Amino acid sequence: MTAISTTGLTKRYPEVAALDGVSVALEENRIHGLLGRNGAGKTTLMQLLTGQVFATAGSMQVLGGSPVENVEVLSQTVFIQESQKYPDTFRAVDVLRIAAGAYPNWDQGYADRLVEQYRLPAKRLIKKLSRGQLSAVGIVIGLASRAPLTFFDEPYLGLDAVARQMFFDDLLADYTAHPRTIVLSTHHIDEVANLLEHVVILDQGKVLLEADTDELHDAAITVSGKATAVDAFLAGREVLERKTLGTLATATFTPRDGDELAAREAGLDLTPVSLQALFVHLTTANTASAAAATDTHRASDRAIV
Amino acid sequence: MLDESKPLFQAVAEQIEDGILDGTYAEDDPVPSTNQLAAFLRINPATAGKGLGLLVDAEVLIKRRGIGMFVAPGAREALRQRRKFAFQDQYIAPLLREAAQLGITPEELAGMITKEVAR
Amino acid sequence: MRIRNVVQLHTVNKLQAFGWPLIIMSLSLTLVLVIGALIVNVGGAEAREGMNEGMQYSGAIFALLGPLIGFGFTAMGQYFPLALGFGLTRREFATGTLLVFLGNALFYAVIVTIGKVIEVATGGFGLSVRFFDVVYTGLGEWWQTLIQTFLLIFTVMLVGAAITTAFHRWGQSFLWIFWIALAVLILPVVAGFLISEDFRAFAGQVGGMGWVPWMGVILGFAVVGGGTWLALVRRAQAR
Repeated sequence: MTAISTTGLTKRYPEVAALDGVSVALEENRIHGLLGRNGAGKTTLMQLLTGQVFATAGSMQVLGGSPVENVEVLSQTVFIQESQKYPDTFRAVDVLRIAAGAYPNWDQGYADRLVEQYRLPAKRLIKKLSRGQLSAVGIVIGLASRAPLTFFDEPYLGLDAVARQMFFDDLLADYTAHPRTIVLSTHHIDEVANLLEHVVILDQGKVLLEADTDELHDAAITVSGKATAVDAFLAGREVLERKTLGTLATATFTPRDGDELAAREAGLDLTPVSLQALFVHLTTANTASAAAATDTHRASDRAIV
Repeated sequence: MLDESKPLFQAVAEQIEDGILDGTYAEDDPVPSTNQLAAFLRINPATAGKGLGLLVDAEVLIKRRGIGMFVAPGAREALRQRRKFAFQDQYIAPLLREAAQLGITPEELAGMITKEVAR
Repeated sequence: MRIRNVVQLHTVNKLQAFGWPLIIMSLSLTLVLVIGALIVNVGGAEAREGMNEGMQYSGAIFALLGPLIGFGFTAMGQYFPLALGFGLTRREFATGTLLVFLGNALFYAVIVTIGKVIEVATGGFGLSVRFFDVVYTGLGEWWQTLIQTFLLIFTVMLVGAAITTAFHRWGQSFLWIFWIALAVLILPVVAGFLISEDFRAFAGQVGGMGWVPWMGVILGFAVVGGGTWLALVRRAQAR
């Protein structure tokens, strides 16, 4: 079953189109990655899906209904927002107490264990917590609420390496024990890449790529060797990125059957591209083509003048 | 730990295969469950499951409902045969290519191998 | 049932919701008592009479009412985004918050009324001071004070919530229009006071129109503020 599906979802603010015609389908009980650079529209998409903001155009189905003012949907949804504002006077313990009442599946024992584990100073004012401790508050709520639909927006900002590993282990363990739909948004991809089953890459408010991570392994590879050989090998094919150093070159491209053999015969090396690298290639290429398009516009503007 | 040049689920399958070949998992022994693998390797359970699924399809593992996955009888020998078959392609061909590039003759190479084995 | 969660959101921090307002009120009352004791001891009967007369306009009670004014602002500014974050609907938030406003106004109105009854019965705590029995909370019967204080607190919360919601919706431009509109309303009144004898007489009449009409005015503000707030909050977005 599909937990989330959107069609042409658009959110325009006076200054900017934060989301522009986004159509995605996220299966239930999987871990989805929502990837994109800062300002790509990740948070806006999640705010729309949780009814926090209203769409300008398009439609969406969340857990079988519209999330807007829908108690049935929203009571099964938890959204841990990276920039969540808390009242000045709140301590972590206050937020946890409210969360305990707001989420039907809340597991207090588990929450207590997590607070201990992440060494969260629960009685300190939230506005005095460090970035990492603030992330820990979100992690405790996001995990202990056991909501059928869980959104994590940049959940591990400011956490040290130990705590990050802890989070990945906790997430996996609890997800395995209590399967649910998890949407993890981040721009730090490498560490979570292996946890994701499906990814959506957003850039400038649009979907750049939506695929299962298994398929992504074939989405791009890098070939390296003598520049002349590399160029001959890739003649006429679309290249995501090309770099040269003296007579050597590397190029990233979308492979097809038979490339492996051909490369070997040409004396070229093939190396796989990580999700992080693919993400960088795709978004960089997109920025470049957008810039090129703007340049063309400007050129034609001048032509008219 | 996992071979990163392959899709993750294939790397998972190969790791289990390695375990069967080196005797970590004897025939008729259980192999780790999807969830145990996922937690140990810090990967998505679906990926771990897909890796195990490959091995079930290849009849290396047998699924016993409600109990788990077990190494199939004769799996070790079958794997050995398959890997042997791939050995030529995977190891010998690149070795010869590199040797040729360095001007090492096949005779020299054979001598190097004999020497290495003796060490 | 999730309205309970909204109420809890506002009251989870007991010290903040009830403790501090009462502590600040007690400190303020203590200060007034000390001043009263000094004046009574130093000034004698005449000073005592003058003090009692002047203290009808004493704003010391705003040590309690002041922080409550901020309640409407923080409800929308700080609690609304958190409520959305917890997956509560706008309808649930508005209903729960309205209940909290009502409860708060009632709670503090009762406190002020009890204070006033004691104050009147003891002759200004034996010092002829006025703290609870002032024009803002009503100089009449105890039940008038109860109603007036309740209405005042409730109205101020609604108007505060409405202003904050409008500000979130339209940003700085709303504030400009708000202040300009306020100036357009107030300036003629001030000018009238300064230049026209007739206006002063008229204003005197309006001022002395009696308790019930004045309550009607406050109620009018409550209806306008509450109506605006409830209309806007249904389309309010997270920021």
